[in-house]
Amino acid sequence: MEVILEVQELTKYFGGLAAVRNVSFVLRQGEMLGIIGPNGAGKTTLFNLLTGFLKPNGGKIIFRGENIVGLKPWTIVNQGLARTFQIVRPFHQLTGLENVVISCLSPRGAERAKKGAEEKAWKLLKSVGLAGKERMLAKDLPHGDLKRLELARALATDPELLLLDEPFAGLGLQEIYSLSPLIQRLSQEGHSIIIIEHKLRELMKLVKRVMTLHFGEKIADGTPDELSRDQRVVEAYLGKGGRTFANV
Amino acid sequence: MPGQENRSIFTSERIGLLIALAILSAVPLFIKDRAIVELIILANIYAVYVASWDILCGYTGQVNFGHALFVGGGAYAAALLNFYFKTPPWVTIFIGGGIAAIFGLIIGTPCLRLRGPYFALATFAAAAVPYGLTDVYWEITGGLDGLYGISPIWPTLAGRYYFSLLLTALCCGLIYAGGRSNKGLILKSIREDEIGAMASGINTTRYKLVTFIVSGFFAGVAGAFYSHNQLHVGPETLSINLSILVIIMSVVGGIGTITGPICGAYLLTIFNEMLREWEELRLLIYTATVVLMLIFVPKGIVPALSEGISQLFKKRKGG
Repeated sequence: MEVILEVQELTKYFGGLAAVRNVSFVLRQGEMLGIIGPNGAGKTTLFNLLTGFLKPNGGKIIFRGENIVGLKPWTIVNQGLARTFQIVRPFHQLTGLENVVISCLSPRGAERAKKGAEEKAWKLLKSVGLAGKERMLAKDLPHGDLKRLELARALATDPELLLLDEPFAGLGLQEIYSLSPLIQRLSQEGHSIIIIEHKLRELMKLVKRVMTLHFGEKIADGTPDELSRDQRVVEAYLGKGGRTFANV
Repeated sequence: MPGQENRSIFTSERIGLLIALAILSAVPLFIKDRAIVELIILANIYAVYVASWDILCGYTGQVNFGHALFVGGGAYAAALLNFYFKTPPWVTIFIGGGIAAIFGLIIGTPCLRLRGPYFALATFAAAAVPYGLTDVYWEITGGLDGLYGISPIWPTLAGRYYFSLLLTALCCGLIYAGGRSNKGLILKSIREDEIGAMASGINTTRYKLVTFIVSGFFAGVAGAFYSHNQLHVGPETLSINLSILVIIMSVVGGIGTITGPICGAYLLTIFNEMLREWEELRLLIYTATVVLMLIFVPKGIVPALSEGISQLFKKRKGG
């Protein structure tokens, strides 16, 4: 299948510390890739680099055949690469509907009139399970709903590639079980997706390919099964002497 | 479809605005005291100052501590053109707005790279420079005394009043409509979370800069009108006192609502004048009232009132 994203030797230093070092990988159209790694492994930094919120010290990010390094975050969104945040960033004083309308009004969201934008936003809210909550202010929505709102907001920009930064963080099992099929559905609808997630059991059920970062470097890339047997991945999570990955 | 409730709030807000406009239109017909009419002309001008401040600061969250730069820029541009080149007032008002808009572009470009207190300090500093320049080039500007002999915009008081009201209704109406439009919603998203807005595909830099220019234009128009109304221009139009007064009026009225700051402008202008009877206690009472308002109505008068009214309606519906 066609390559949608190609990352070449991506490197980012914070002072003397390499947060991301020589990371390269390829993502194909419609593929769903999981990224795991202990805290501080550089996962969110990698997302910030891909979405233009940080500038890399070296390397290339080829999205749909074009190097997007140096482009502004909104330009990247308008080329079809959207993201959600690990710590949600809703517009607190705006309603659920208005939160999504903003994205619909962006150049890629392509709605000019308020009515069209509201209708599109309403459909999206319904599709992520927030029907009936569109008039509530974002500040009054519970955490689980804010995660869904982030997703709707990203989807409103009609992305081809969706980066989800810990979509399950802070959610209870029931909420995860209802959100997981939604992400699965987005993948089936043809979105290419990269997910950072600490909840490994839930992630492994969702994706067919997982990449592991450790101290900013890619140490493994393969199927969930291969990774659970990879000694370097086990050591990154459990330290030396760790034998099994099954109960993490 | 959702949104019906919001629309009814907007409708009642618009009805309120129309009633306010009708009352203001009747002022010269029923009030024969020239001083009061002059005072309300001043309040009309202040309404444009605060509305133009609010569309930038209340909507995008960038607190401009140097709004007097735009007001004074417009006031001086109009006064100098009229004084030296005899340019008619109806032309100088637009040129004053244009000059202030250019100030918005020039100051906005570097200032918008800054955040929070750094942005506030930069705007504060930017307004201090032209204030000093009026004294340096005193031969042209008249120095601290300013220039006298600017042409009036209308020979009669009633004419001047209606012109000020027309200008206020037009400027505030346009700013209000902008604030309630899609663009206004986008500006609010920048205030709520700029990174979130960027991730929604919004070019936040462009939106902020354009708002800076628009804010400058309307403040400049009002400043230019002020010169022709007072028949005089002086450095007080560029002073930090004016910048702070605009912020106080906006906060008391309720920032980020346009109608709130406008309400604050009228109330505080009239309140300040009423205190003339107790001249020696005036500053104390004025300051104490503002501080008490900030403590007990921190959101501002208009948001507090509209919340109260909507709760009352909910209770009625419920019971």
